[in-house]
Amino acid sequence: MSDSETHFDVIILGTGLTESIAAAALSKAGFKVAHLDQNAYYGGDEASLTLDELVQWADTRAADVDPEASAFAASQTAKFTSISHSHHVLPNSRQYSLSLTPSIIPSKGPLISSLIGSGVSRYGGYKLLERIAVFSSGEVRNVPGCKEDVFKSKDLSLVEKRRLMRFLMFASGEFEGKPELEGNESSPFSEFLRTKFSLKDDVVDAITYALAFCTFPSDPTVPALRRIRRYLLSSGRYGASPFLVGQYGGAGEIAQGFCRVSAVHGGVYILGRKILAVSASDSSDKSGFTVQLEDLEDKLTCDLLISSQDFVPPDLQSTTVPVLLSEQAGSDPPPGVARCIAIFDGPIIFPSSPSQQATTSSVDDKGTDEAETANSETQSKVDTAILVFPPGSLPEGSKTSAATVLLTGEGTMSGPAGKCIAYISLPVTNPDKSAEMLLKPYLHATLASVTESRSESEPHSLFSLFYLSTPPSIPSPQSFASSRVVVTCPPSNLLPESMDTATKNAETVFWEAVKALRPALSEGGQEDDTVESFWPPLEVQDEDEEGW
Amino acid sequence: HGVRRTRQTSEAVEARKQREQSRLKEYLSLTDHVLAKKKSRDWSKDAFEATSRLLQINPEFYTIWNYRRNIMLHGLFVNSPPEVINDILSEDLSMTAAALKAHPKVYTLWNHRSWCLENVPDGPGDSRDWKKANWSRELAIVEKMLDADARNFHAWSYRRYVLASMPEQRPETAELAYTMRKIEANFSNFSAWHQRSKVYTSMWGSGKLNKDKCIEEELELVKNALYTDPNDQSAWLYHRWLVDAGQNRHILESEINAIEELLEEDPGSKWCIESLVHYKRLLVRNHAAVIGKEQAEKLHRQCIDMLQQLQTLDPPRKRRYQDIREFGLCRALNLLTSSTW
Repeated sequence: MSDSETHFDVIILGTGLTESIAAAALSKAGFKVAHLDQNAYYGGDEASLTLDELVQWADTRAADVDPEASAFAASQTAKFTSISHSHHVLPNSRQYSLSLTPSIIPSKGPLISSLIGSGVSRYGGYKLLERIAVFSSGEVRNVPGCKEDVFKSKDLSLVEKRRLMRFLMFASGEFEGKPELEGNESSPFSEFLRTKFSLKDDVVDAITYALAFCTFPSDPTVPALRRIRRYLLSSGRYGASPFLVGQYGGAGEIAQGFCRVSAVHGGVYILGRKILAVSASDSSDKSGFTVQLEDLEDKLTCDLLISSQDFVPPDLQSTTVPVLLSEQAGSDPPPGVARCIAIFDGPIIFPSSPSQQATTSSVDDKGTDEAETANSETQSKVDTAILVFPPGSLPEGSKTSAATVLLTGEGTMSGPAGKCIAYISLPVTNPDKSAEMLLKPYLHATLASVTESRSESEPHSLFSLFYLSTPPSIPSPQSFASSRVVVTCPPSNLLPESMDTATKNAETVFWEAVKALRPALSEGGQEDDTVESFWPPLEVQDEDEEGW
Repeated sequence: HGVRRTRQTSEAVEARKQREQSRLKEYLSLTDHVLAKKKSRDWSKDAFEATSRLLQINPEFYTIWNYRRNIMLHGLFVNSPPEVINDILSEDLSMTAAALKAHPKVYTLWNHRSWCLENVPDGPGDSRDWKKANWSRELAIVEKMLDADARNFHAWSYRRYVLASMPEQRPETAELAYTMRKIEANFSNFSAWHQRSKVYTSMWGSGKLNKDKCIEEELELVKNALYTDPNDQSAWLYHRWLVDAGQNRHILESEINAIEELLEEDPGSKWCIESLVHYKRLLVRNHAAVIGKEQAEKLHRQCIDMLQQLQTLDPPRKRRYQDIREFGLCRALNLLTSSTW
């Protein structure tokens, strides 16, 4: 290959969501991008895998560390620990699309805007999240998220309804500077709810952990309020629920979509090859990097290197410039998360939601009696739902952090017909037990509550995987060095936040790259060499179906 | 973003003007043509088709609709078997349905539909199947309209008309369920509550439901709405209807308590205060003998204070509250000096 074929403006290491969004934006802006990943699949730590791939993923990371291991392999083994899984062999492995980073998408936010702005939204399908519930006093209770839910709820007294509505109105408006908030900005959100809105414990738990998605009782008020407001304002855009669930595997599928956009606009993709060496250019007048891949004779060079933390070799660690959002900088490293992915037989049963019943209409005379009986049923089948376990809600569970369970059925196209997936996440600061011991109680409680009771046996999963995910600490920003690697930071752990923070990180990476590369671009002599926005204005007709 | 801006050249503007002029000429000549036929009492099929063309352009031309109906009555229906009549009417129902998609609020279209529905003959044979089918379809259309806008009171009115006209009446319990669905979808819907009150009135009158039990249940239901949103007028008005003239003292007293509790949670809520005045006055007016003079005076004083408060809370109605206060004052004075104690 000639120099022009092996030299790029940017080389990106790792096809995680943040890197993929950045790759798409940079390619669309006209930069020459090479995007590499040692994995044979897209998505990195946010990938969606078939069942066999997931088992292999788990086994390679559970194996003993090989002293010859690449920086990537070593980083992965350090990150994912306490791995265990069942040995059942399930058929139709290829029909599963299991996500390493379960997530939901707020209907208004950076990710949805980027999905639309980049055109990636056309590649996938999305479903409205049907239900959010909280595990309270041993049973599953729907969480009211809007006026209609509150009106119809049978779990709240009249006074509780009034107080909850007062809070929801407060949270959806401009609460900054309001008297209730004064002095309480950083106090624990649950305390704020109890004292300023006179809400009872079970309502406080529902709001704190299932509306604001806090993880600890000490989580501060203002960030929680901001999240709630974003979600409240998201509801109604596509339907009553504020959230969408991605089909075909969620985050991994979306990352792949962004890579596709990048490729269509000239990005070069190389997957599945070991990255042998990453080094800074040694010439004094030129700053840049060289990457050598296994089984590829020519080395790839670039002016700027963007990388996920896994791929940065030890000798270059000190030159990295981590890209941080202002709220992440200077904060404590995020805790580890104990995770479980379990497959079970559907259907998923939840208590009926008020708004759901209200939308069925009876048109013909014969149908009226049916419609009436349907309204009196207290349970219904759902395809997507979230069940939140507040701290202390499960006797055998954690008393200090909240667990979230994302349940997806066959409508999400992430498994064969009749099979459902449960994703359990529990933040842990100092795990004293294995991931499996920590999460098994939650798995049992979930399956017992949401599956139809079969005659003899207790409900059980067909397959389960447990592991602990501990992200490496975020390096502190270094002063500007002539040769530096832009490093992406892992997205937030929160179910509704992970993809939005990845998008915001990606946008910051994008602008960093543009800043560094712009001199190079203007040399090209194009008339339109200013990059004005993250995504260029949408073309009305986009002919982009080159071979993929 | 992403929307193409079309540029209007002067040639394009001129061309558009030309097209408009020619269309205008066509319309005017067609109008003359049809009106001439009407004057000459032309009831032929040609005349009918001419009206179709004209009405497609201007569905609000009610004179032509009248003419069209006359053509049907004096021309097309004369000496025709019921099947033919039904077919012609079905055609018109389809035509107006299509027109309504583009012009949903044109009265003449809805008017013509009613006329067609009312003129559907009995049949086939001895059955009323044609009538049933047409009215059922009409109900479906009204429901689509209410799905699109549950607060369209024209549609609710039309719904009552359709329900009353159906050859086989739907059970009133089904209508109660329908209003419940609409209320659960969004309880800020006066028409839905209103419909509910009409159905209940009918069912109490015919003895199908026990009035006292219903009122108890409905009070519970509407209180959920009041507590969820104390500013929603439609729920307060339904509550007012349930309490009625205040004949039942227990109900009056417990509702007053509930509203006072709500007022504690939401001090300054205009509807709470106004309702309390209304209900406390009812209590004094209807049950003075039972509650006793002292209590009556106390309630009266509370009302005076609340009316004062309302004058500041609700300035547009300041005079009204002032009026009630003064009138109420007189009333109370009369009570006190009355010899019926």
